[in-house]
Amino acid sequence: MNTLINMNPWRLLDELLDADSRTFRSMSARAAGRFPPVNVFLDDDAVIIDVELPGKTAKDIDLALEPQAVVLSDKPAETTDAESGKPAETTPAWSRRLELPFRVDADKANAKFSDGILRIELPKAEKSGVRRIAIAG
Amino acid sequence: MNNEKYIVPTATIAEHPDGYELKIRLPGIGKDEAELHIDGRTLTLKTNTKYQNPAGFKQVVSEFERSNYAISVDLPELADPAALTAKLENGILLVNVKKRPETQAKKIAIM
Repeated sequence: MNTLINMNPWRLLDELLDADSRTFRSMSARAAGRFPPVNVFLDDDAVIIDVELPGKTAKDIDLALEPQAVVLSDKPAETTDAESGKPAETTPAWSRRLELPFRVDADKANAKFSDGILRIELPKAEKSGVRRIAIAG
Repeated sequence: MNNEKYIVPTATIAEHPDGYELKIRLPGIGKDEAELHIDGRTLTLKTNTKYQNPAGFKQVVSEFERSNYAISVDLPELADPAALTAKLENGILLVNVKKRPETQAKKIAIM
């Protein structure tokens, strides 16, 4: 009887809608190109991107870095074309490009999968120095 | 992150000829952060991650939530709760339950 008194009926409804509304929202986000879902964190020196990809590991994802953007794509398993015997042309199931607020240093970038979440750490690029050129003569 | 909050994870259940497979999405949850209990035919899952957003950073995009999860599922009548295995890998929990042996179709030998 105690559990009945403590139960908030609206919370039960929230919980029921929780998983469903997330499913619907994720479906519309996916249609709008916002897949996979990301969380982005910024401080003065770096940007951290968390990508939600449960069930995936490093071999399933292609990560490309541009000076001021990140491109994440699905890396489909390689298959061999039945006729030619060569690797079949594959198209990634999804691809997402994230523009960054500043240029990043590719050499210092790192990415790690942990329990289905890919964390990408991108330090800000050093300001491209102005170089002085000595004039001969 | 509010340590008291639990959200219901996305879960699917599939039936195979000899058992059921329950798949629960738990992104960011490691093996030692999930607790699974069985009481009769009721399976309860609760996570206890202490994840915090990176310190000193400002969150500018928030498309998914990192939270603790809790769900309670009544296994189907045909399931045998004693024949249950669970594996949590890469943020996905797979629970396999065999069907009760007496419910499986048996071949009858004809003398």
